[in-house]
Amino acid sequence: MSFVWFWTFWHWSTEGFRSGALLRSPLQGIASYWDEWYRHDSSESDRSEIDVTGSSVFEQRRFVCWLARQWAKEARWRDEMLPARYVLAQLSRVAPFDKWTAFDKYRTTYASPGIAAIVLDEESAGEPGDVRRVEAVALPLDEDAAAASIVSDGFHTDGGELNTARRAAMSLLDGKGLIVFLGLWLVTGARPYPRYLRILLLAGWLAVVGLIVRLLIGPDPGTRLVTFAAILFTLWFVLVMTGVGVASALAFSALRTGRALRTRTEQRQLHLRMTDGLSVHGGSAGLAFCLNSLLATYRSHPLVASRSWLWATFFRRLRGASRTWAATGIVDADGSVEHVVLEPKIRACLRNPGITHVLTPWQAEAKQSAIEKIATTARRVGPALPNPGMVLGFASTKPKLRSHRCRHAAQSVMAVGEFTSKSQLVANMLGLAVTVVMVLALPDLRNVLRPPDAPRVVAPGSPSPYFLWVSLDTDRPDAFKAQLESEFWSNRSADVVSYGGADGSVRAEMRLTRNGRPGTIDDQNGTVWIERRRKFLGREFRPGERIASYPLSHLNGLKHD
Amino acid sequence: MRKATNIEQLLQWRRQRAESEAPPAPSGVHLLKLAQPWWELWPDRFAASVRRLTAIQLSFGYAMAHPPHGHSGHPVAALISRDNDGDQEAPARILYMSVRDGRLRLRFQLAPVPRNDSTFEVTFVSENGLRPILLASADRSGDDEYRVDVELPTELAAAWESLKVTDPMPFRFILRPGFETN
Repeated sequence: MSFVWFWTFWHWSTEGFRSGALLRSPLQGIASYWDEWYRHDSSESDRSEIDVTGSSVFEQRRFVCWLARQWAKEARWRDEMLPARYVLAQLSRVAPFDKWTAFDKYRTTYASPGIAAIVLDEESAGEPGDVRRVEAVALPLDEDAAAASIVSDGFHTDGGELNTARRAAMSLLDGKGLIVFLGLWLVTGARPYPRYLRILLLAGWLAVVGLIVRLLIGPDPGTRLVTFAAILFTLWFVLVMTGVGVASALAFSALRTGRALRTRTEQRQLHLRMTDGLSVHGGSAGLAFCLNSLLATYRSHPLVASRSWLWATFFRRLRGASRTWAATGIVDADGSVEHVVLEPKIRACLRNPGITHVLTPWQAEAKQSAIEKIATTARRVGPALPNPGMVLGFASTKPKLRSHRCRHAAQSVMAVGEFTSKSQLVANMLGLAVTVVMVLALPDLRNVLRPPDAPRVVAPGSPSPYFLWVSLDTDRPDAFKAQLESEFWSNRSADVVSYGGADGSVRAEMRLTRNGRPGTIDDQNGTVWIERRRKFLGREFRPGERIASYPLSHLNGLKHD
Repeated sequence: MRKATNIEQLLQWRRQRAESEAPPAPSGVHLLKLAQPWWELWPDRFAASVRRLTAIQLSFGYAMAHPPHGHSGHPVAALISRDNDGDQEAPARILYMSVRDGRLRLRFQLAPVPRNDSTFEVTFVSENGLRPILLASADRSGDDEYRVDVELPTELAAAWESLKVTDPMPFRFILRPGFETN
């Protein structure tokens, strides 16, 4: 077994915790407990083995690798793997590891970079160093019940500010923040369609538009109306179901995964780390802390996030964005982003060559045009070279700083996740407009595709001899027309309409006027045909099949009451 | 031989000169005074600190929304007594406590964390009688912890041996910055 002395320490630590000698969990207090064990409780042989390990950089590195790859997996605390980088970072500050070269890179970092926070030095007008790297790790909850659920390492700040950022992160995972995020994504967010499917769907929507236009202003399709209506309805239905189905499935999985991640966040202690030992006043680092809290939760449970395309995509890009993105803005517990002093922070980002994107509150100073204006000033006030002479020149230019203004932390999730898609927004608008039209046209399509049964003529008849009422026994009046053909009366056609009131019925009403050249003197001469009405939105097509006929005398004989 | 005599004379001359220039040896009274603990040297100051310490009432209150997780210790009332700046209350949390072989090893954390004090002289004041019972040095360890390693009187060692870090502590602290005690 390698490095038995470290196992000896770990067992001393866990047993010490169980026996009540240690207050904090062995993980949270690992540096302190190591210091205690190394000073007082390690044996001579342990110390000589430690000295041997520390005597060469090779052995030191071997220990670091062993700790990260083997010990962290095997030691486990509360049935969880231990975060090796956190352990290494903690140990790097105590003897003898504080002298070991292999620990150098862990002294200032957890190697878990996150979105940078812009925290200005006193009286700074915006210097590159004001963009500060923030790292976050999520540990199992400390057994010390009085320990904070979010802790600052390497800097000091108001615990309330940190806690607010944590609550905003939890709201983004499962709360109002998530609802806002899903709402934004539904409207403007990219969908995980392959390219061919995206083109196919767009073509489908355009085909629906084409069919609608064809039916509205094209020639009367005659018998092909049913075919057109069937194609139109099926195509629209498939497109809507695809869109709604995909969006619902993704949103549902995001909700479930978000809830699972929130539960895990609640069960973890977040450690935010910023170097320089700053005492941070004000809450403008809240947005960065919030996003880094999310990142820490993801890093502790990467498999949970992989269940949701939305979260997996966001976290993958958040991880990638950590080197080039900075954020400023006060967040409240629901994720709303409030205004901050911005100009020096923008200047700090402009002067920092590593930063290409900045998340800001929704302020005029963060408009792209305003940033370009500040960029000119920032260059002008930049420090002059102390010894101008021959220097290396690089033909590359610093990438342009791009701002992402946010009213809500959910917008920063959209920005970092690169979810915003103009083409999807256009497709959604098109789909929504088409769907509104289709919903209005649905009764007409229904009448064409699933016509109702032929109705019977029923009472009441018309109370006036100058009017003909053709009352029908149907609940779909707009599917029928009535047509009077008579040699005594002028031919008439009327739509069937639902009338209310005392004489309420579903009927076609016609005013009877004598034919100018009657072919008969029999005023009961005539036949009323019931026809299927064919229309699409406001357009009437030629009537469909005649499904019933009644003699005029029969209709006149129907009593009014 | 002459050389040896010369060197011997030279050393003797140097010694006589050093003796004549050296300050007078401290008197026994002065040495006793130096060995006295501070509360005997400045009883009024100690009494004032104890009065202030007595007034500190400490206990954790959990205004939490979720069921408590794990255990918690009991905060120890502590007073940082500075010569120039007056006294400052800074509750201490005991993070590690071990009494073994007559030695006390203790780690504690102050809230708020003092920024510049790397060493404190810690006076343990008994919770019951408010008497000074132990004097020790606490060195800063890591960012925000202080470490005490001191030999205990037999009666204290016996009384404190069974103490757990989660138990209420039978002492309070008066911390005086920047003192080294052995």
